[in-house]
Amino acid sequence: MVDQPRIQPMIFRGVVVLAFGVILANLFYMQVIKREEFRAQATGNVEVETRVRAPRGNITDRDGAVLADNVFRSSVVLQRGCLTDAGPDSTLTMLMEWFGLDPESTLERLARQKAAGRPQLTLVSDAGMAQIALVRENARRLPGVSVDAKPWRRYPRGPLFAHLIGYTGEVTAEEVERFRDLDPEFPRYLSGDTIGREGLEATLEDTLRGRDGLHVREVDALGVEVGQSRLVSRELIPGHDVRLTLSAALQESLSVAMAGRPGCAVALELPTGDVLAAVSLPTYDANLFTRGISLEDWESLRNDPEHPLLNRLVQATYPPASPYKIVTSLCALSHGVATPGTSLDPCFGGYRFGNRVFRCWKLSGHGYLNHAGALVHSCDVFYYQVVQLLDLEALKRTALLLGLGQRTGVPLRGEAAGIVPDSAWYDERYGKGRWTRGVLLNNSIGQGEILVTPLQMAVLTARVALGDAALQPRLVADDGPPPPPVPLPFKASDLNWVRDTMHQVVDMGTGTRAQLEAVDVSGKTGTAQNPHGEDHAWFVCFAPSSDPQVAMAVILEHAGHGGAVAAPVAASWLADYFEWRERGEVRP
Amino acid sequence: MKLVLPRKSSGGSAGFLALYALLCLFSLAVLWSVTEGLHGSYQEVAPVVSKTVFWRQVVWILLGWTALLTAMRLPLHLLEESAPLLFGLTLAVLALVLVAAPEVAGSRRWFALGPVRIQPSEPAKIMLILMLARVLGRSAPGDQRLLPLAGSALLMMAPLALVLKEPDLGTSLVFLAIWLGIVFWYGLSWVVLLCTASPLLSAGFSFYSERILMGQPWPWAVYLLVLLAALSVARFRLLESILLLLVNIASGIGTSVFWAGLKGYQQARILSFFQPEKYPQGAGYQAIQSKIAIGSGGVFGTQYLQGTQKGLAFLPERHTDFIFSVVGEELGLVGAAALLAIFLTLILKGVTVATKARRPFNALLAIGVVTYFTFHVVVNISITTGLMPVTGLPLPFMSYGGSNFLVSSFMLGLLINVGSRSFES
Repeated sequence: MVDQPRIQPMIFRGVVVLAFGVILANLFYMQVIKREEFRAQATGNVEVETRVRAPRGNITDRDGAVLADNVFRSSVVLQRGCLTDAGPDSTLTMLMEWFGLDPESTLERLARQKAAGRPQLTLVSDAGMAQIALVRENARRLPGVSVDAKPWRRYPRGPLFAHLIGYTGEVTAEEVERFRDLDPEFPRYLSGDTIGREGLEATLEDTLRGRDGLHVREVDALGVEVGQSRLVSRELIPGHDVRLTLSAALQESLSVAMAGRPGCAVALELPTGDVLAAVSLPTYDANLFTRGISLEDWESLRNDPEHPLLNRLVQATYPPASPYKIVTSLCALSHGVATPGTSLDPCFGGYRFGNRVFRCWKLSGHGYLNHAGALVHSCDVFYYQVVQLLDLEALKRTALLLGLGQRTGVPLRGEAAGIVPDSAWYDERYGKGRWTRGVLLNNSIGQGEILVTPLQMAVLTARVALGDAALQPRLVADDGPPPPPVPLPFKASDLNWVRDTMHQVVDMGTGTRAQLEAVDVSGKTGTAQNPHGEDHAWFVCFAPSSDPQVAMAVILEHAGHGGAVAAPVAASWLADYFEWRERGEVRP
Repeated sequence: MKLVLPRKSSGGSAGFLALYALLCLFSLAVLWSVTEGLHGSYQEVAPVVSKTVFWRQVVWILLGWTALLTAMRLPLHLLEESAPLLFGLTLAVLALVLVAAPEVAGSRRWFALGPVRIQPSEPAKIMLILMLARVLGRSAPGDQRLLPLAGSALLMMAPLALVLKEPDLGTSLVFLAIWLGIVFWYGLSWVVLLCTASPLLSAGFSFYSERILMGQPWPWAVYLLVLLAALSVARFRLLESILLLLVNIASGIGTSVFWAGLKGYQQARILSFFQPEKYPQGAGYQAIQSKIAIGSGGVFGTQYLQGTQKGLAFLPERHTDFIFSVVGEELGLVGAAALLAIFLTLILKGVTVATKARRPFNALLAIGVVTYFTFHVVVNISITTGLMPVTGLPLPFMSYGGSNFLVSSFMLGLLINVGSRSFES
C-alpha cells in the first residue's frame, strides 16, 4: 500500500482540517462577533408564555346539588429529557430517593408515559404537602422538575349518576394533534388536559370546557419569575356550569327501589319531559376513571357478565312485551277495526293460526273477554285475532307516533334506535316471501323482533298520558322551554279509553301491586319472553291518573312477572315522589 | 558517550501518550468545575451533578490507562485472526441487548453489572474496525466491482441495524462513518463510493422533495438522472447497474410511503430533529442552551468554575455529551481552540500512522480508529455549537462515562501499536 503514491491521505487530512476549520470559524463567530448577544441571553430576562387552564364547569341536579366538580391536586412533573439519564447522579434518581419511590417500577411507569407521547412525565400524581414543599424549596437544584396544580374531576355521587354524567379522562396524543390541526395557533387541548369521555361529560364537552387563557410573564436566566406584572394575551373563559333536570333525592329513591337488581328505571316529569330520575344497574364508580383507571379495574368492569358499563337507559334494547298492547289497541281503534266493546273468540290458553299454535301467557285461558278486558288482563289471544284485521305498516305508524323505533335524542352516547319491523324489514331479514303473517301475531303482543329501550317506553307512556306527540325526554334544565305540544292523531275518546283501561290494570288487573293510597296510578305490566333465561319484568305507568304529573318505565332483567316485581319498584318511587311533593321538598 | 535516542520504531508513541495524558487532565479539570456548581450571584444554587461523577471518572481514567497499555502490546496478527470470532460474539451480545437489557426511557442499551453499566455498542465499534480491516485487507485493492464493497457494507449493516433498533441513532451513525473511512482508504473510486451510498441519498432527496417542497418530485427526479449518468460512466456489470437503480427507486418511494403513513405528531418529532429552533422543548432546548453557554464565553471565557449556563435550568448531559459547552463557556475561545488543537494533532498523527503502516490490515485498522475519533470529535462539537441536530454522542476522553472512555483508550492503544510496527517487515 505504501509503494504507490496515494491520494487518500491528502484528501483525508484535507477533510479533517477543513472540518476543524469550520468549527473554529463558527466558535470565533459565536464567541467574538456574536458574544454580546449570547451574553444578553445568558443573563437577561425573557418573556415566557404560560397557559392558564379554564376550570371545567360543574354539573348540578335540578336543585343545585353538585354532581360533578373540580378539586385541585398537585402533581410533580418532569421534562421528557430527564428520563434520558437515569444514572446514579441524575435529578430523577435524587427525587426517587427523596420520595421513597421504587426505582424500577417508577422508571417503567415514566417510560410508558414517554412512549405514549407525553411531553411531561408525571412522577407523583397526587403529591402531599411535604413533597410539594420539597420540590418548591429546592426548585433551583431541580431543573426541569415542577409542581403542576391541576384540577381533577370529582363525582360526589359517583355510582349513582355514572351512566348519565359519565366521566372525563386525559386527552390522547392523537386527540391533541387532531385539535391542533383545527386551530394551530391556540390548540384546544394540550397534553395532560381533561376531555369528556362518556355520558354528558362527553356530549356537553363544548359547554363544560371553556377556553384556556394565555399569560405572559418575565423570567430570568434561571427560569425564576421576576417582576409582578402578568400580561394577558388571551382572556380565559371558564367552562359553563350545567344544571340537569335530574333530582339527586329522586334518583336515590329510584335506586333504592331497584334494590341492586340488574335493569333500568326512568321517571319523566309531565308535561315537560324532564328526566327526574334514571337508574341503570349494575353501575360503576365514575371516579375510577378520572385519575386513569387501573388495568385490573378496567378488565373487571369490561368482563363483568352483567355489563356495568352498559347504560341500559338508552343502550340496551328489550322486547316491549305486553305494554305494546297499548300500541295495538290504539291502532285497532284508530283504524276502526275494533271498539272498546269488541268481543272476539274466547281465549282457551292458545290460538291456532295456520299450522301453528300461539299461546296465551295464561295457559288456563281467559275465557270470554271484550277489548277492555283483554287489555286489563293482558289476554294475548284477543290481540292475535284483532291484529289480523291490521297490517305491519299500520302498527309501525302507530308505534312511531308514540316514540318507538327512533332515537329520543337525549345527549347520551350510543343511544339505540330500537326496531319496529314492517314488511320491508322482514323482506330484508328473511327474504321476500320467506316469512308468514304469523310475525304479525307476535308483533301484536310486543314479542318477536320488536326492540325498545327503557327510555322509549317511558316516552310512549308519557305521550299516551298527555296525548302529546311532541314530548321528548330532557336531561339539561337550561335547554329552554320544551317544544309546544302536538296532539296525537287519535280520537280523544279512544285515548281516554286507553288511559281508563290502564287505570283498571292497576285497580283490578295485572298491575295491582302498583296501587298507592294517596294517588291513582295507571299502568301496564309486561313479561318479556327471553330465550336466554328467566323473563324480563316490565312495568310502565303514569300518575295521577286524572292529571298526569309523572310517567315511568321499569324493567328488571330475568326477574319474572312484571306485575309482581316491576310494579312495586314504580309504586315505591311514586310514593316518595308524591309524599315529597306534598311536603314541598320536590318542586315541579 | 553515546546518546540514547528513543527508537524510531516507537512511531511517536511518546507523542500519543502525552496527548492522551493532556486530555485526561483536561477532562478532570472540566468535570471538577461541572460538579462544583455555580458561584457569584448564583451562590445559593447547589451542584446538581454530584462529586461522585468526578471520582468515578478518576477510576475510569486509571482503568483507561490499563486498557491503552494492553492494546499497545497486543500482537496484531492475533487480533486479525480472531476478528470473525470477536465480531460474531459482538453481534450476539448486541442481539441479546435487544431482548434482555432493561428498558429505560423506551430504549434498551446497556446491561447492569453491579454498580457498573456496560454498553455493548461501544466495544462493537472496535470489533467492526477489526472485521472490516481483515476482510478488506485480504482482498485485492483497487477492485472497482461493487460486490466486495457490498459485502463489507453488509458486515457494517449488521451492528448498525441492531443498534438502531435499541434505538441509538448516534452510535449507529458511527458504524456508518467507520465503514466509509475504511472503504475510502482501501482505495475505491469516488464513483463507486457514491453509488454505494446512493440508496441513502435517494431516500434523502425523496424526503426533501416530499416535505420541503410539498410533493414536488423534481429534485428526486434530477437526482435519479445524475445517478443514471454516473452509472453509465462507471463500468459496472449491466445487472449491477440495474439492481442499483431499482434499489434507489425503491428506497425513494419507500421513504415517501413511510412518511405518509406516519401520524402528525410522529412527523413533528422527526421534523424537530432537523429544525430544533422551531421546537424549543426537549432536544431543541438543549441545543439552544448550549449555544448560549458557548457564545457568552467570549475569548477568555467566564473563568474556570464561574460559568452560569452550566447549571442553568436544563442541560442534563452537561457532564456527558454537552461537556464541550462548559469548556466553551468557562475557558472561552482560547480553551476551546486548545482542546481542538489537541484533537487535531492526535487525528493528523493517526493519519500518518495509517499512511506508514506496512500491512493492509494495520493500515485499515489505523484509519478505522482515526475515523472513529474524527467522527466523534467533529460531530459532538458540531452538535454543541448548533451546527448539527442533536443526537447522543460523547466527546472521546472528555465526556463522563466508562464504556466510551475505555473503548477510546483501547482504540488509541491499537493506533500506537500500529505506529510502533511501521518498520516491521
